[in-house]
Amino acid sequence: MSKPGTWLLAAFFAALSLTANAQTARNSAGSPQLPNAPGKETVQKVCGNCHSANLVLGRGMTREEWSEVVASMISRGAKATQDEFAQVIDYLAKNFPPKSAPGASPASPRRGGGGGFTVGPNDKQIVDAASADRGKAIYSAGCESCHGDKARGTEKGPDLVRSVLVLHDRYGSTLKPFLAKGHPLQNGASASLNDQQIKDLSNFLHQQVNDTLRSGPYSKVLNVLTGDPKAGAAYFNSAGCNQCHSPTGDLAGIASKYDPPTLQQRFLFPRTIGFGRRGLAPTKPVTATVTSPDGTTVSGALDKIDDFNVSLRDASGEYHAWKRTPDLKVQINDPYSAHIELLDRYTDRDIHNVVAYLETLK
Amino acid sequence: MKWIRAVAPALLMAALLAAQGLTSEKILHPTPDIWPTYNGDYSGRRFSKLDKINTSNIQSLSLAWVYRINSGGDRVGGAIKSTPLLVNGVLYFTIPDHVWAVDARTGKEVWQFTWQRSRGGIHLGNRGVGIYGNWLYFETPDCNLVSLNIKDGTERWHKQVCDLDRLYYASVAPIVIGNHVLVGVSGDDLDIPGYLDSRDPETGDLQWRWYTVPQKQGDPGLNTWPSLDAAKHGGGMTWVPSTYDPDLNLVYVGTGNPQPVIAGKAREGDNLFTESIVALHLDTGKMAWYFQCSPHDTHDWDAVQTPILIDGEIDGKPRKLVAQASRNGYFFVLDRVTGKNIVTSQFVKTNWAKGVKPNGEPIPDPAKMPQIDGALVSPNQGGAVNWPPSSFDPQTGLFYVNATRAYSEYYIFDTDEKPEGWGGNDRGGWAESMLQALDYKTGKICWSHKWEGAGIRSGVLSTAGGLVFAGDPVNNLVALNAKTGDPLWHANLGEAMSNGPMTYELDGAQYLVAGAGDTLYGFVMNATEPRQ
Repeated sequence: MSKPGTWLLAAFFAALSLTANAQTARNSAGSPQLPNAPGKETVQKVCGNCHSANLVLGRGMTREEWSEVVASMISRGAKATQDEFAQVIDYLAKNFPPKSAPGASPASPRRGGGGGFTVGPNDKQIVDAASADRGKAIYSAGCESCHGDKARGTEKGPDLVRSVLVLHDRYGSTLKPFLAKGHPLQNGASASLNDQQIKDLSNFLHQQVNDTLRSGPYSKVLNVLTGDPKAGAAYFNSAGCNQCHSPTGDLAGIASKYDPPTLQQRFLFPRTIGFGRRGLAPTKPVTATVTSPDGTTVSGALDKIDDFNVSLRDASGEYHAWKRTPDLKVQINDPYSAHIELLDRYTDRDIHNVVAYLETLK
Repeated sequence: MKWIRAVAPALLMAALLAAQGLTSEKILHPTPDIWPTYNGDYSGRRFSKLDKINTSNIQSLSLAWVYRINSGGDRVGGAIKSTPLLVNGVLYFTIPDHVWAVDARTGKEVWQFTWQRSRGGIHLGNRGVGIYGNWLYFETPDCNLVSLNIKDGTERWHKQVCDLDRLYYASVAPIVIGNHVLVGVSGDDLDIPGYLDSRDPETGDLQWRWYTVPQKQGDPGLNTWPSLDAAKHGGGMTWVPSTYDPDLNLVYVGTGNPQPVIAGKAREGDNLFTESIVALHLDTGKMAWYFQCSPHDTHDWDAVQTPILIDGEIDGKPRKLVAQASRNGYFFVLDRVTGKNIVTSQFVKTNWAKGVKPNGEPIPDPAKMPQIDGALVSPNQGGAVNWPPSSFDPQTGLFYVNATRAYSEYYIFDTDEKPEGWGGNDRGGWAESMLQALDYKTGKICWSHKWEGAGIRSGVLSTAGGLVFAGDPVNNLVALNAKTGDPLWHANLGEAMSNGPMTYELDGAQYLVAGAGDTLYGFVMNATEPRQ
C-alpha cells in the first residue's frame, strides 16, 4: 500500500567506505571518488557541502528510490534548481542502480546491513543476514522472553539495542565474555553457546540496532488513508481546488499514478520533487513579467531573482537580465501559489479527507 | 566583582601558562585585531564595534583575497561552517577532520592539519576551533578533542570526549574560559544523553561534566520523565558553543532535542533539560537555573541557538538579559541572573503551540505532534532558524535572525510501545525566508526583509558601521542597513554562505570574512574617508 519504503533514506546516510566496490576510483589522497559521468559536477555541487563521495559509493537503488532520497534532502535544506535535482537523481540512478543481492528474496525487504552508515564508527559490524537469521532463533529461544521481540527490553530484562555492551561488541568480542560468565541469570544456557552461535546472536542484535536507526525498515509512511472521501470531495469543491483541477480532467487516474503518501505530498507541496510511480513528476516553472521604465515588457520562465538582479528566459529561449531598480517592475507568478496559500488554512482533517478523495480517482 | 574572586586564581595561573599568545584577558576584552572565540566574544552577540565599513562607504568594499580549501582534489564532504578565529594576524578555521591557518591579510595558507586517525562518525559539519595561549582546540567526528600548536599545527594531544560506538559525534567549537575548555557533543541517532564537558586546557582531562538529562535517582528533572531509563537515554546534545557572563561567572548553554526524536510515546512529560536555556556555574558545572523553550518536543527543534547576552533596559531599569531566537520559531528574553522569562514571542508564524504558560514556555499542541497519517506542522524539521548564529546590535537595540517560515508533514513511522532512535520523520515542504529584526524589549518585529527564494543556512553579523551582514538564499552575501533593513550591497559567492561572517581590523583597514562552500572570502575597505 505504501511506497517501497522511505527507509531508503537510509542509503543517503549510508557510506560504504569499507565495502566500496573494486571500480571505485581514488584520488591522489586516497579518498574514493564518484565515477566520471554526466552530472558528476552537479552532484558534487549540490550534495558535496554536507556529504562525501563515499556516502553513495557501493549503494544501489532504483530511480524512484533515489528520487525519494533527494526529496528528503530537499526538506533538510538541500539547495539547487529543479534541473539540478533532476540531474542528481539521473546520475545516481544511472551510476548506482540496484545491486542484485545474492540470496535475497524479492519478498524480504532490504534492511540496514551495518557498515554502511556514516553514523558511528567505520569498523562497525557488517551484519551477515543469514547469520542474523540463525541468531534470531537463538534469541527467540533464550533471550526474547526477558529482552523483548525487538530487543528493546521489558520489565524483566534490559534494552539491548541501547546497550553499551552490545554497541561496543564486534562479532561477539564483548558478548562472548559476558555470556560466558556475566549474565545475571547464570542458568548455564548462555555459557554453553559456541563461538558461531555467539557470532550469530551478535549479528542478530546488531541487526536490531541497525533496524532502529533512521535508515531502518521501520522508517516508512504507514497509512495516510484515514480520511473521508466524501468530505474530501466536498472540500475539493468548496476550497477552490476545482477552480484549477477536475476529477475527470487533469486528475483522472491520479491515484493510479501516485501512491497515497505521494498524493498527500504532491497536493500539499507540489514543488517537492515527486517520487511517483513513473519517476520524477514534472513541476511548472515560476514565471515573471518585467516592465522596464520605458514601458517595454518581457515575460518568461523566471531564471533567478534576488534583491539586486532578475533574469528570465522568454518563450523563444532567449535569456534576459536586469538590474533591479525602483522603476523596474517585476511581477512574479507562481502557478502553485494557491497551494501555498492553503497551507495556512488546511486542518489536518481536511488533508486526510482530500487524500482519501484523491485515492478514489483511480 | 564576584567573578574576580571566583576566577582570579585560575586566571593568574592561566596568565602564567599563557605568557604568550592568546591570554584570558585578551579573550575577555577583545581588541579589533582579534576574534578570539567562535562568536568573537563571550556575549555571543556577534556585534563588532568597528565602523570603517559603514553605510556610507559600503559600495567600496573590495575583494582582498580568496582561499579555497584543498584536500586532495575532490570535495571532502565539507562546507566551511566554522567561524574563523583570528589571533596574531592568522585565521583558524575547520571542516570535519581538517584545520587551516590562513594569513588574515592575504589569504595565504600558513599550515593545514588533517586528523589522520579518524575512526568515522558523522561528517556533516564542524563549527570551528577554540584557542588559548599558543594552543588550539577542536573536535573531530570520531569523538576526539584535539589540541594543536597554533604555530605550526602540530598535534599536542588528543582526548576522547564521547563514545563513537553509541553514535555520538563531535562537531562543536570549544570555548575557552579561564582554565576551562568547554566541549559539547553531538548525535541523536540512538537515544544517548547529552552533556557539556569542562576540560583542562593543558591536559584535556575532565574537570566536570554536566548531563543535560537525569542520570540517576534524585537528579533534578527526573519527574519530567516516565522512568530513569527514558531520562538516561533522553538526548539533549550541546552542539553549539555556549556564552558566558564573567560578572555572574555563569555559562549559558542551549540544549538539544529529546530522544527518541520524533516518536515521543515512551518519554511522556516535559523531558527536562532538553531544549532549554541553562545557566551553569563555570567552576563546578552545577545548574543555576533553566528555562525550557520546547517542553516535550517531537519535531527535532533543539534549542541550541546561541543564547545571546544583552545588557539592556526593561521598564526603564538596567537589566542583565539573555535572548534566543529558537529553532521552534519563538523568541525568548530572560533575566540572565534568575532565568525569569521577560519576553516570549513568535519571530515567524508557527502552528505547533496552543498557547504560552505564565512562565513563558510554549504549550505544545498534541494535534501537531507527528501522526501516523501525518500532521501539517510549521516550522519544518529544519526549523525557523537552525545552528547559524543570530546577532544583537546594541546601537539599534535590534536582534537579527536569518529566519525561515516553513511547513512540512510529520509522520510517526514506528508504532511500537517503545519507539527508539527517531521513530518518525517529516517529509516534503514549502518554505520562505527572511531576515527579521526584533525589538528585544518586546519581541516585536521592527523590520522584516523577505528574501527572494527560501532556505538559509548562514549566520548574521552586525557592526557599528550601521550594517547587518547576512547570507540570502541565492548565494549572496548581503549588507543591509541595520536600522531599516534596506539591502545596500551584495557579492554573489557562487555558493550559499555557509557560516557566520566575522570582521576585524589590521593595519587600520577593516576586513570582512565569510565562507561559502569550500571557499573563504576576505573583503577589505580601502576607502579611508571618515563616516558621514
